Amino acid sequence: MRFNDLVSGAILIAVALIVIVLTLNFPAFPGQNYGPAVFPRLLAGLLMLCGLVMGIRGFAAWRAGEPLAEVPSWARDPANIVSALLVLAAALAYIFVLDAVGFVPLTLVVLLVLFLWFKVRVPVAVVTALVAAFGINWFFASLMRVPLPRGLMDWIL
Amino acid sequence: MTVDILFQAFALVFRWDVILIILASGLFGMFVGAMPGLTATMATALLIPVTFFMDPVPALGAIVTATAMAIFAGDIPAAMLRMPGTPASAAYTDESYLMGRKGQLDLNLGTNLVTSVLGGLIGVAILVLAAPALAEFALAFSSFEYFWLAALGLTCAVFLATNDPLKGFASLFLGLGLGTIGIDPAAGFPRFTFGSVELMQGVSFIPAMIGMFAISELLRGVTSMQGSGEVVLQQVGNVFKGVGGVLRRYWVNFLRGSGIGVVIGALPGAGADIAAWISYAVSKRFSKEPEKFGTGHVEGIVDAGAANNSALAAAWIPALVFGIPGDSITAIVIGVLYMKGMNPGPTVFLQNPQLIYAVFMIFVLANLLMLPLGWAIIKSAKQVLRVPKNILLPMILIFCVVGSYAMTNSVYGIIIMLVLGIFAFMLEENGFPIAPIILGLVLGEMFEQNFITSMIKSDGSFLAFFARPIAGMLGVATIAIWLIMLWRMGPWSKARPAAV
Repeated sequence: MRFNDLVSGAILIAVALIVIVLTLNFPAFPGQNYGPAVFPRLLAGLLMLCGLVMGIRGFAAWRAGEPLAEVPSWARDPANIVSALLVLAAALAYIFVLDAVGFVPLTLVVLLVLFLWFKVRVPVAVVTALVAAFGINWFFASLMRVPLPRGLMDWIL
Repeated sequence: MTVDILFQAFALVFRWDVILIILASGLFGMFVGAMPGLTATMATALLIPVTFFMDPVPALGAIVTATAMAIFAGDIPAAMLRMPGTPASAAYTDESYLMGRKGQLDLNLGTNLVTSVLGGLIGVAILVLAAPALAEFALAFSSFEYFWLAALGLTCAVFLATNDPLKGFASLFLGLGLGTIGIDPAAGFPRFTFGSVELMQGVSFIPAMIGMFAISELLRGVTSMQGSGEVVLQQVGNVFKGVGGVLRRYWVNFLRGSGIGVVIGALPGAGADIAAWISYAVSKRFSKEPEKFGTGHVEGIVDAGAANNSALAAAWIPALVFGIPGDSITAIVIGVLYMKGMNPGPTVFLQNPQLIYAVFMIFVLANLLMLPLGWAIIKSAKQVLRVPKNILLPMILIFCVVGSYAMTNSVYGIIIMLVLGIFAFMLEENGFPIAPIILGLVLGEMFEQNFITSMIKSDGSFLAFFARPIAGMLGVATIAIWLIMLWRMGPWSKARPAAV
């Protein structure tokens, strides 16, 4: 989504306000004028200033006929949106089920789905996914000692 | 510096495992650089998880080598496909491609390779000469000098990296804001952690980098996959033929390009890509035949080809001496230095000089290695450029995920990666630059600490920020750049920011 600066500016101001509200319950230390809240509040103030100027600029552009938001050209092709969502879904899958499923099985599934969606030929996709999943697992888990979760692998291998 | 330190450094570098790592990362860098859409910064971010478990010298050597190769290799698809392999080659992509169309592909690639190697060596020479001297000088710096240095660096990042300073500053403040998450440096109070223990140590740095540089790039890659058809590549002959003549004719251009590269690289916040743009423009401006520019003329390529590689080495000067990154690659390097216990700053030259000199040696080695490796990759470009994107991009996703996981040993790293990846993608879609966010995130803690310390020391008086001579000079320079930017933003300025 591509926004007019009026919208971007408003979002920046909102973020700055949230930061200021959050700093309200930061503790103050007696005799110490410059505590943990000073720097975040200063940043929030500057951010608000940026948002304000951007809002004014965006307002002028909006009056001149620029839409508040428009769909960028890549997003007009639904296939591209699916591609982007698949990448995000893959990352989410790692966040939520990596510990339960394990690295190798999950990577196999993720790679196969992505390869097939991107029209890699099936035999190539299967072989590449297998080599990549086991290869990366070997490199990071065995060689680099990263504790990649084994998950389902525990009772398969 | 004693000879003893040089011998120690020599012993650290010339070990078969270190040399092997340098060779492997050189090949990796060549590949990443040659693939359009994969940048040198992304190469660095993807390398970190692998280097995490190495000793400091091979870890830094891998980064040095991979980035040097990547910046050169970006020139290859620029000449062959009219697609820059990295943003550092974008300035002269059209020129290179037109040279290829005129049947001068060999000469173009040869010139690019040789100027990259020589420009890189000049950058290293300046780094070796300037960094230790500056470090000695910087030992006397107090919080006021560091505050202004950081402010100047952050300002330059905005000033040079974008034609819309407003959005640049907004990015910078967002980055500095992200940096305030976690235990605050002055009083030890956990800020913006929402009760999460993992957020208390701050936004984990490497997963944040992987997200902002690799995931956002990946999203752009998969959404532009349609329509990238078969490419026809020309045959490459003897690339070194005629390069000597070009260098003899344009040796002034070469020196000027290298010089501009060093200056831009050493300025905090701007790196190889901006050095290439500026040196190409300077070359055209002072050329005897400016009308030939844009028709496949080699002159500007000599300037810019040398500039982007010399900038790469010069960017390490502020990174090593002050802990202020010269570009987005050294921003990641600073994170690595902290992880390896080599806290950047003038004292690292006193405490670990052998490590610093080992890095310098690797820099020289990497640039020399570029000649044979570069020749090899040019010869095999036909095969490399044929690696299908639809297999490559999903694999990169897996590397990003594993890399982020390895940094925290939990899915927390993947969460940081994903959130900041989407954040960076949305911001770039709307014309906000990413480099200032990274610099803000890296420098945030140091900046705040020096700011608060200075405020406490001066009891809130801003005049004290200008009381020491060097601090005063840095302060005036910083404020001057702010004023220039304000002037440019005014309604009387003709250079309105282009709609992105």
